[in-house]
Amino acid sequence: MSLIWRRHRTWVVPTLFIAPSIILFGVVIVASSLQSVWISFHDWDGFGPMQWIGLGNYEELLGDPQFYVSLKNNLIWLIIFMLAPPLGLAIALLVNQQIRGMRIVKSLFFVPLVLASVAVGIVFTWVYTPQFGLLALAFSAFGQKAPALLSDEHLVTFAIVIAAIWPQIAFCMVLYLAGINSLSEDLIGAGRVDGARGWNMLYHVVLPQLTQVTFIAIAITAIGALRSFDMISVMTQGGPFGSSQVLAYQMYEQSIFSYRFGYGAAIATILFIIMLVFILWYLSRIIRAEEWSN
Amino acid sequence: MLSLELKTIDKSFGAFRALKQVDLQVEKGEFIVMVGPSGCGKSTLLKTIAGLETPDSGEIIINGKDVTHAEPGDRGIAMVFQSYALYPHMSVAENMGFGLKMAKRPKAEIDAAVKRAAGILRLEDQLEKLPRQLSGGQRQRVAIGRAITRSPEVFLFDEPLSNLDAALRTQMRVELSTLHSRLDATMIYVTHDQIEAMTMASRIVVLNSGIIEQVGSPKQLYRNPDNYFVAGFLGAPRMNFFEAKVVGMRPGIAEIEVPAVGRIDIALNADAAPESGMTVAVGVRPESLRLAEGEEGFAAKIHLVEYLGRETIAYADASPLRCIGSETGTGNLTVHLPYVAELAAESTVRLTFDPNDIYLFGGKDRRTWSSAK
Amino acid sequence: MFPRPIPHTARGMRAIYMAMVIVILLIWLAPLFAIIMTSIRTSDDISMGNLWGWPTGFGLVENYVNVFTKTPMARYFVNSVVITIPSVIGVLILSTLAGYVLSRHKFRFSMLIFAIFIGGNFLPAQIMMIPVRDLMVQVGLYDTAWSLIIFHTAFQTGFATLFMRNFIAALPNELFEAAKAEGATSSQILMNVVVPLVRPALAALAILLFTFIWNDYFWAVVLTISDTVKPVTAGLANLRGEYVAAWNTISAATMIVAIPPVAMFFLMQRHFVAGLTMGAVKG
Repeated sequence: MSLIWRRHRTWVVPTLFIAPSIILFGVVIVASSLQSVWISFHDWDGFGPMQWIGLGNYEELLGDPQFYVSLKNNLIWLIIFMLAPPLGLAIALLVNQQIRGMRIVKSLFFVPLVLASVAVGIVFTWVYTPQFGLLALAFSAFGQKAPALLSDEHLVTFAIVIAAIWPQIAFCMVLYLAGINSLSEDLIGAGRVDGARGWNMLYHVVLPQLTQVTFIAIAITAIGALRSFDMISVMTQGGPFGSSQVLAYQMYEQSIFSYRFGYGAAIATILFIIMLVFILWYLSRIIRAEEWSN
Repeated sequence: MLSLELKTIDKSFGAFRALKQVDLQVEKGEFIVMVGPSGCGKSTLLKTIAGLETPDSGEIIINGKDVTHAEPGDRGIAMVFQSYALYPHMSVAENMGFGLKMAKRPKAEIDAAVKRAAGILRLEDQLEKLPRQLSGGQRQRVAIGRAITRSPEVFLFDEPLSNLDAALRTQMRVELSTLHSRLDATMIYVTHDQIEAMTMASRIVVLNSGIIEQVGSPKQLYRNPDNYFVAGFLGAPRMNFFEAKVVGMRPGIAEIEVPAVGRIDIALNADAAPESGMTVAVGVRPESLRLAEGEEGFAAKIHLVEYLGRETIAYADASPLRCIGSETGTGNLTVHLPYVAELAAESTVRLTFDPNDIYLFGGKDRRTWSSAK
Repeated sequence: MFPRPIPHTARGMRAIYMAMVIVILLIWLAPLFAIIMTSIRTSDDISMGNLWGWPTGFGLVENYVNVFTKTPMARYFVNSVVITIPSVIGVLILSTLAGYVLSRHKFRFSMLIFAIFIGGNFLPAQIMMIPVRDLMVQVGLYDTAWSLIIFHTAFQTGFATLFMRNFIAALPNELFEAAKAEGATSSQILMNVVVPLVRPALAALAILLFTFIWNDYFWAVVLTISDTVKPVTAGLANLRGEYVAAWNTISAATMIVAIPPVAMFFLMQRHFVAGLTMGAVKG
């Protein structure tokens, strides 16, 4: 008995160590995701039996105008969110000076990152509140009346994106600060000797060294933009009249409020496929870096 | 006109004073090597000349222009870093042309300069490659090429050979010396390796704890070191130092008593100031010691013998003669014989040296009071 | 250093620079200041429409006490703690075990597992929503703290395992080789070599996990309904629905939800930042 144990013990214990994580993650996360795809091929109200309808949900989606509104909004989210890395870099460059008190300032810039998304949503809803919000206050300083952003079909998505990008910029800032502080002193010295200054130094010497950081910032920002749910749920619930709808929220609405779980699953699957592009791109870069360093 | 002039350069990092009132004058075309132990300030001095560090006081004048507060790119200098510092995302050609690009020179001029440098350094076939595709030696040549294209007034080298293996280092030493004469450029070279200093320099600057101990040609520094530090720094194996006592004084001559050896008369330098009864340090280079004939000289017990192909180094205990500051075991003499000597460890031999080969050091600064003739 | 450091001697320049940075900081945090200021407005001021003028009274105590007495916020707060702490502990344990195996044992599927953990972390919550909810209903854990504890432990294990894996992989190989040469088993190496050395990583990870789990909103909304189970995030959203115009109360409630992670962050900034960069930059 002990002979068997000794022969196999090199792999038994590690397997036991890693098993709970793999099982939990596999069942709750991976299996669930695959199951959703399965459900998307059915018609289901959550109580009764599931009815196989093949691609029926998807056909309906293609004809659903709300779907296209959601897609359009997701695209707006993605594009505007791409401002987060450069703005994060700008703030990182701004605060990277050894002046007394700068450490506290850096921490304060990080704060939006630590706030709960629901808190950020409420904070900005308050900012946008007509007549009383901060926006109204700012406009009244110029003698103007602020637009009611959250009730305006054309501007609502932009208003929400600005709220959501606030913590995202802080995140990119953290990444870039770490990156800037691991730059090679010698390379910067070589740049200075070569006469590179200011913008030239940033573009030719610094940014190329930050490629890895930029890549991660963009990938995580893109994934964050597509996944956005909390802000819409807290600020507008998709309104007014579905104009701020995004795929993530539409899926939730269809499933929980309309009891159309199959249809919701189809929306989730579309979202998943779109995000898969970014996830696979990110994974391939990471794995390549891993294997290169091994 | 002087290529480079440093006037009373002082530089501190917090409480640590790295450079103390450094003065230096460099003529055009000289190959100056700055040597010294770790922490002596040589790299700091080089970076200050480059403009990567700003001195707390003093002036830096390059080719007649005061550049003390000028940007590194505006000083007419080019630098080769110890780590080469090649831009990893740029090709060899782009690396070498970057400085000119920053100076907004026309493309034709940049291409011509890059081609010329590549020709001198035999990099013509590597121009499109990235640094990571090159060997260490090739990367180093690109770093040098990057400096050449800028046609600087002064080339600065920060320990460029320390990352190379021994064989490559010897080869590069020759190449750099050749480059120097070909370009007829002023070069300031920092190293901790005194062999590089001795072989490459037109003049050596010896630094110690932020001050310049001595400046001179390799021959001058080796034959006539100004003080104990310089005498002990240049020359490998290191000069043997032992304590002796001044027992008599005559005009221009000091009579010293060396344990185990006896009394020796030493002709003094003009500024020497020994006094009777004083303890002084005597220096004898390992190559000045030889095996004695018959009963001359003094007895020494061989501790360890190292054969180096065509010469021998032996470490001997010649008590009561004891070496001070010796790295080879307390008190051991180092003997360097220019032939293969059949010496057995633990055997006793007799050693001797010519009194003319003695150095005398004394006083507060341990200045040289007598040099070998 | 980049950008170029402003020399210590240029005092005037440094002062002006700092002033400029502080102005930008104030604009950056303006929305937060607005909420903080509103959370100390008295109800009278609110009903009079005096939001930004000179306050007629100091409503700090009144508002915050109201949140705890007139709303279920106290209960929500307790729920959050009940959900977050066990989850964090669970993740720390599982991820250390799994991270250790992934970093020190090369086996056929390690790359695949690595990729699944990373990828899974980026999945949109919605793709798991229905089956997870369904699972909890069937197991009878729907609308209990356990459903959230199980979910968060499962989900965060992905990110946390990678984090610990990277950290353990960076430990000096000699330690492990020496231990193996002395005949130590895997579990002995884990307990005697790894655990003592990974404490800083665990601290950083604990703070990150606390923040992620405490701040979670989506799963709180999907898996809980009753006030007795809801954590503060879902609770706060509910409150907004009920107290639509009482902005002083809502602001105070928002602050209460926001404070624990912010406090933890300030107490352990270095760990937090180290954690984020370690986790993101290395994979």
